[in-house]
Amino acid sequence: MKIIGEKINGTRKRVAQAITERDTDFIQSLAQKQTEAGATWLDVNAGTHPSREADDLIWLVETIQAVVDTPLCLDSANPKALAEAAKAVNKTPMINSINGEPERLEGILPLVVEHGCQVIALAMGGKKMPENTEARVDIIHQVIAATRAAGIPDKSIYVDPLLMTVSTNIQSGMIACDTIRTLHQSYPEVHFTLGLSNISFGLPARSYINRAFLTLAMAAGLDSAILDPLDRELRAAILAAELVLGRDRHCLNYTRAFRAGVFDSTKN
Amino acid sequence: MSQELIDAITDMREDDALEITDALLESGADPLAVLDDCRQAMEIIGQRFEEGDCFVPELILAGEMLKEISAKVKPLIQEQTGSTEKLGKIVFGTVEGDIHDIAKDIVAFMLDINGFEVYDLGVDVPAATFVAKVQETGATIVGLSGFLTLAYDPMKETVAALKAADLTDVKVMIGGGQIDDQIRVYTGADAYGRDAMTAVSLAKQWSGAA
Repeated sequence: MKIIGEKINGTRKRVAQAITERDTDFIQSLAQKQTEAGATWLDVNAGTHPSREADDLIWLVETIQAVVDTPLCLDSANPKALAEAAKAVNKTPMINSINGEPERLEGILPLVVEHGCQVIALAMGGKKMPENTEARVDIIHQVIAATRAAGIPDKSIYVDPLLMTVSTNIQSGMIACDTIRTLHQSYPEVHFTLGLSNISFGLPARSYINRAFLTLAMAAGLDSAILDPLDRELRAAILAAELVLGRDRHCLNYTRAFRAGVFDSTKN
Repeated sequence: MSQELIDAITDMREDDALEITDALLESGADPLAVLDDCRQAMEIIGQRFEEGDCFVPELILAGEMLKEISAKVKPLIQEQTGSTEKLGKIVFGTVEGDIHDIAKDIVAFMLDINGFEVYDLGVDVPAATFVAKVQETGATIVGLSGFLTLAYDPMKETVAALKAADLTDVKVMIGGGQIDDQIRVYTGADAYGRDAMTAVSLAKQWSGAA
């Protein structure tokens, strides 16, 4: 299970403030903590106005790279900002994201090819949110036809089934799992990821919902997620889920994590 | 006022709320009083939501109950008055480039049950469509919703388009996502709101009904 650390995101108030004030310490501390907690990538989202987005992304990238060498996941819908930021990155970044929109594919796929990036593909077409599993699967068929045509290997694709909250549609969790299961059969090389906390938006005691869903989605084929790596109980839940799903040979990760104190609630 | 109905709605007992409504209307209760009970119940729910004591799925259920109850009540009110007196007309929608609709739907519904004629244009609405609808309906208020940061420019364009069309008396409110006063100034809107109740009180203020 690969973790994309979610914390450096300008749509969060405190991070937005740090970006505006160029608060290097705050951003670097988020980068270090998430890296220590085992994040494979650090998501970097400036969340700012398009006219400032490229500058802010580049500042974030340079600030983060000054303290950690964890690969970055450049998070923007804006091809120009992504292209600028990709030039500033030391290690091949992941791109977050493409979707079924032709303009976005045209704008971003050349970048993915040029840098040999991994890329998140949202199961979303144009303006409308897909309502069900079938609509999501159809969009991803189109997206993968385009990435294959561009020469991008399936194993570089991370499909995001567009997880929505169960607050507004009680089937949201099952739609995401069914989308993963269906596409996993069609494209065995393709990876899957999603923004975990979406599932519980609008509800109390969210961590229980997040954990229950993550386990089910992992069973469906999810092998990555955008989440808070600093959430120790979530990390423990992931280790336990990988174990019971038969993905932890000789239970080694689990026992090692135990010795490292991951399950010890008194440690922090 | 029926405390029984208010309690049924605020306790999220949908079947009870509908049964009580039927019984009230059959016994000759004033349909406007029934609607006012709904409004009071919604205010309580809104307050609980703000205090973190009530959650999004419950807001949606409450919205469904209100739709069902208003469907029962509305024909009776129209019978009574010939037409329903409205506080004002509001053109409402999520701006071009954005497709988020949940918050918009809640706000539009709250405006509706609080006595406004709401023309909901849906999502991804171009500036020209807002202008055309205002001209067609003579609405005096426009509500622009947007969750994405990418929505700020279309909001600004919509405000400018209204001005360019000489609709300078039309008041514009914006809301959704990260919107704050800085964004309001950037877009040129008259006010912003963080929740549905703010939208209702702004609309009442602007239409002189507050």
